Amino acid sequence: MLSKFDYYRPDSLEKGLTYLQNHSDTKILAGGTDLMLLLRNNAVICEHILDIKDIPETKILEYTPGKGLFIGASIPVNRIAEEDVIREKYPALCHAADSLGSYLVRNRATLVGNICHASPGADTSAPLLVYDAKVHIASSEGIRILNLPDFFTGVKKTAVKENEIVLGVSLPDVEFGDTSIYLRKARIKGHDLCNVGLAMRLTASKEVYVALAAVEPIPLRLTELEKSLATKELNPELGPWIQEEIKKYMNPRRGSLRSSREFRLHIGGVLAKRGLLELIEKGATEYVQS
Amino acid sequence: MCNHNHDEKNNCFEYVESHMPPMPLSLVVNGEMVHELADPTMTLLNFLRTRLKLFGAKEGCGEGECGACTIIMDGRTVTSCLILALEAQGSNITTVEGLSKDGELSILQQEFIRDDGLQCGFCTPGMLMSARNLLDRNPNPTVEEVKEGLAGNFCRCTGYQPIIDAVLSAAKREREELK
Ligand SMILES: Cc1cc2nc3c(=O)[nH]c(=O)nc-3n(C[C@@H](O)[C@@H](O)[C@H](O)COP(=O)(O)OP(=O)(O)OC[C@H]3O[C@@H](n4cnc5c(N)ncnc54)[C@H](O)[C@@H]3O)c2cc1C
Ligand code: FES
Ligand code: FES
Repeated sequence: MLSKFDYYRPDSLEKGLTYLQNHSDTKILAGGTDLMLLLRNNAVICEHILDIKDIPETKILEYTPGKGLFIGASIPVNRIAEEDVIREKYPALCHAADSLGSYLVRNRATLVGNICHASPGADTSAPLLVYDAKVHIASSEGIRILNLPDFFTGVKKTAVKENEIVLGVSLPDVEFGDTSIYLRKARIKGHDLCNVGLAMRLTASKEVYVALAAVEPIPLRLTELEKSLATKELNPELGPWIQEEIKKYMNPRRGSLRSSREFRLHIGGVLAKRGLLELIEKGATEYVQS
Repeated sequence: MCNHNHDEKNNCFEYVESHMPPMPLSLVVNGEMVHELADPTMTLLNFLRTRLKLFGAKEGCGEGECGACTIIMDGRTVTSCLILALEAQGSNITTVEGLSKDGELSILQQEFIRDDGLQCGFCTPGMLMSARNLLDRNPNPTVEEVKEGLAGNFCRCTGYQPIIDAVLSAAKREREELK
């Protein structure tokens, strides 16, 4: 079977939602860097394509002090990587955006498309998790807002229903002194999916948040590890401890194409140690500066 | 999008019209306004090659990996194999055919020839577009920045070093011309 679809690009949310309501078998198109591949390989077959890039709500990229950041569903990853306020306030997100695919892919790929495709290794997922991101989802009944952990439901599965359009994600504002980092290990430098992606955040009140991509069917926030970190004093001696400890929270599958389970466990440990040490150092200097 | 190979992945190289109702498409390509009808399932790459007979951009992988289909769309480099033609409605596109002026090759193209930045030439139009866009963003790149700027454009022949050399010497000549 072949996909024989028509193409519709509405200029308002209402038109988009009405179209979804009236046309079953529609696929939403943002940057197309996943969807075009699926269509080409006939892994997805659909009758209609709904291009959301002209829906005004999806074109917003806005930081409001006190409120936080909103990233619309049409914003390409490179715009996120280039945005000064994101580099300053949400550095892990910037690092992740900067490391996804190639420059060419990043000019089209969107962050919302990245999480909607819900690949376990989606690079932007781990940073969004440590910032408690929320997903704004529109349907003709209105807008519902989901916490990111509730959004991912399985490998390439999300809580988005057929009649819904994700408008964007929001991240709460961060206090002065809050910092973060995203580290990834891939087979080659540049232009490869990651074996392990790790986001870590140190808040102004010295709490540490940790999230991992590519080691479980869905991206994971390690809340238990965060709790045990909270009972400890943050100093470089924690490096070797977290390197071992984090492995308890990882269950990478065997037989993956990109790397073995043992390799992923090992790399997870190495990245956690490196991440924590870098954050402690960054936190200390930024603290002095303030 | 193609009419064969459905058991075997990754081999869809031939474009076949879907016969869905074609839709009007207007855009600017290499400075000229174009009005055409396009099949909704047609990629931008296929549109450029089959409708506009611009054969510069190539189909290598068709999956966003190799960069052979790179063009500049509204100031940004993109892989045209992953874009539907209809998504380009109203956009401004430059292909490799738009790099030369009045039959004279651009400095970048001249340097690719001089430094042996091409052999079979399959990757060259895509390389040139990524290099052009890189120099527009950063007229004085370091070797590392050139490598980063060209990541996503694969070459099977040159070993990359001559390409990097060509971009660096083009950058130098362009800066000198500006003085
Ligand atoms: C060569 C190459 C390299 C890559 N490397 C990486 C990498 O290193 N790391 C990585 O994480 N990813 C990588 N990717 C995948 C990455 O480009 C995608 O995951 C991208 O972020 C998806 O965004 P998009 O806008 O292109 O989504 P699309 O392809 O347009 O959509 C993806 C899916 O989400 C759905 N969707 C999109 N937007 C919405 C919405 N607003 N509401 C509801 N559903 C929606 C679509 O229907 C589709 O199912 C790579 C891709 C390519 C081609
Ligand atoms: S043909 Fe488009 S990236 Fe390979
Ligand atoms: S010159 Fe042959 S692929 Fe680059």
